[in-house]
Amino acid sequence: MGNSKHLGLYMLAPAFLFVIVFFLTPVLLTGVFGFTNMSTATGITGGSYMVSQSSMQALKDRHDLSEIAKKLSQVIYTIDEEGLNAAAQEGVDAGTLAELKAGFLGQSFQKRRAVERAIKSLDNRPSSTRAIKKLSALFERSVLNIRYDTEVDLFAAIDKFGLPLSVAEKTAMSDVTYTGWVFTTDNFKRMISLPDTMTTLINTLFYVFVTLIVFNTGFALVLAISTHYMDAASAGFFRSVWLLPRITPPVLYVLMWKWLAWDTGFLSTVLGPLGFEPRNWMLDTPANAWTFIILINGMVGASMGMLIFSSAIKAIPSSLFYASEVDGANRMQQVRHIILPQLRFPILFITSYQTLSLLTSFEYILLATEGGPGGATEVWALTTYLKALSNYAGALEYGYGAALALVLVVVGVFLSILYLKLFDFKTLTAPPKIE
Amino acid sequence: MSGNYRKWPMILFLGFMTTPIILMYVYLFLDTVTNSPPGSMIPNEFTTEHWRFLWETIPGRPSIWAATWNTLLFATSTTLIVLVVSSAAGYALSRLNMPARSFFLGSIMVLHAFPTVTLLIAIFLILQMVGLYNTLIGVILVKASLELPFGIWIMKGFYDTVPWEIEMAGIQDGASRFQVWTKLVLPQVKPAIMALGIFSFLAGWSEFILPLVLAPDNKVQVLSVYLAALIADDNNFDMALFKSVGVFYVVPVIILFVFFQNKLMNIYSGGNKG
Repeated sequence: MGNSKHLGLYMLAPAFLFVIVFFLTPVLLTGVFGFTNMSTATGITGGSYMVSQSSMQALKDRHDLSEIAKKLSQVIYTIDEEGLNAAAQEGVDAGTLAELKAGFLGQSFQKRRAVERAIKSLDNRPSSTRAIKKLSALFERSVLNIRYDTEVDLFAAIDKFGLPLSVAEKTAMSDVTYTGWVFTTDNFKRMISLPDTMTTLINTLFYVFVTLIVFNTGFALVLAISTHYMDAASAGFFRSVWLLPRITPPVLYVLMWKWLAWDTGFLSTVLGPLGFEPRNWMLDTPANAWTFIILINGMVGASMGMLIFSSAIKAIPSSLFYASEVDGANRMQQVRHIILPQLRFPILFITSYQTLSLLTSFEYILLATEGGPGGATEVWALTTYLKALSNYAGALEYGYGAALALVLVVVGVFLSILYLKLFDFKTLTAPPKIE
Repeated sequence: MSGNYRKWPMILFLGFMTTPIILMYVYLFLDTVTNSPPGSMIPNEFTTEHWRFLWETIPGRPSIWAATWNTLLFATSTTLIVLVVSSAAGYALSRLNMPARSFFLGSIMVLHAFPTVTLLIAIFLILQMVGLYNTLIGVILVKASLELPFGIWIMKGFYDTVPWEIEMAGIQDGASRFQVWTKLVLPQVKPAIMALGIFSFLAGWSEFILPLVLAPDNKVQVLSVYLAALIADDNNFDMALFKSVGVFYVVPVIILFVFFQNKLMNIYSGGNKG
């Protein structure tokens, strides 16, 4: 019998693999990415080193090395072997090049005009101005906007440019010119300092609690109790209809709401004769947008509570109902004294589960309003998605998005463990009976 | 039960609350085969023009049949993975004594409650790094993994209801634990496997966010992303077309729901998403 130990592990192994790769790794990596400045600009793998306008600005601002920044931003002209060889390749007269080498090798010029003057001073100078210009262009030297794969390459190029750097300057240089992502805590500083964060937080809490109270528990209770007082056929009908929003794919479900709210849709058409201007009811004011968001989510959410509460009511012994009726209880008293006390645990269960799922759900909001009008219905999970994965400008901020997601991950882990404690873990893990 | 109370106030009340849903569904189907004059909700002609997307590809979009095939592949593959992996893992957790069993159970429960959408960004970056971005395989693996804790939990629950006596008898007759599982226990939980299979298939068929983020390309587009892209395109606004594509998309869901409603109820009340 001893091998059932191993058998168990073998049978768990595939599940283990999937969970580690696509569950635990993402959780950990969310934590890692949250502390980086990863974005479309930095790329997600490695980066390179590049002297650019913006990195030179950063060198000035952050490291106070404006002299170096100014020099590196310039283009200079150096008469060197590399340029002479290139000129020979281009078919420039050998005499010209020999004279140039003898007279000017190793010299640098700040201006294009200066190098052109030097060429003109040669005895064997090219005949046309165009040829002179072309020749001088071959000696143009700059480190601006060239990608170097490593720091060493960058410093070598700067050295060659004629600007040896000290160690401290090199550190500053590699800091500002690195184009890949780096570790930083800026995401969290930004999160705290932005006023939008507060708005989003308030939106999220409003959305979660109103949907939860009005629909996911409140209306679910109404559905469960009122179907309880019906004949089986009507009860079955209403339960099926209220399950429809849950089984309809989200994209289609929200499309039907859009049809209801669109400016050529149902509401506008029906309310038109009553003197209301046709408009997009879902997006015209924040209040209307919220109404729709809560209705859309609530109608999906209500069905789960309905199912759980209904089966809990079914489990109440019918003798209790008969006895109370004989004693002259009315319907409200039955609900108050028989049904609701029995539903205490299911209500707690639904409330906690739905809090977590509402807190992190954004699918319906994304499809319905995309956080509009003007960000009025943007909740935390949606902001996370919009910042990191969908952006009109195309600049996706993975790092900042991951930092926002990390907040949800932490809340998610915390609440999941709390529920585990709350809902009697021991009884669910009774040990096996064979062994 | 409760024969002393009148039923009609309840029916009237719920009927009123339910009207918007019924209205939306009735018009969903009605608008795909009719036209209404502007400013009216009463159709005045029958037409099949809204269904033309079935035989002619909408400009700039993949063919509807390619998207349907992708969706089918996506939903079926995730279902198979979920079924195979979770029926094995569920049995191990329900019946086999092994080290750290209670820890595994606890982790599965935490993962079951854990909101998976929060992992989207990390998963997106991982797929980009390993080169599975914009492939069906990538999004299938991700969807299956995220369904797994739920699947394992459900299967574990169903195995728990199988009487121990069956297994004890099998062991008495000299079968190994593995044989007991495949020959005796699996046939007992066939209905559960069926229910979980249908549930996973529907979940895969309806999934929107994962394919949207992980496989948005035309070549691997599934129907949900196809429909969403169609709706989001401001230049070609055609509500009747959207609805027709939507009905085409939802038909398999409705068929499965009508036939397996009772089985699904069991699982839906198991408590998954909001």
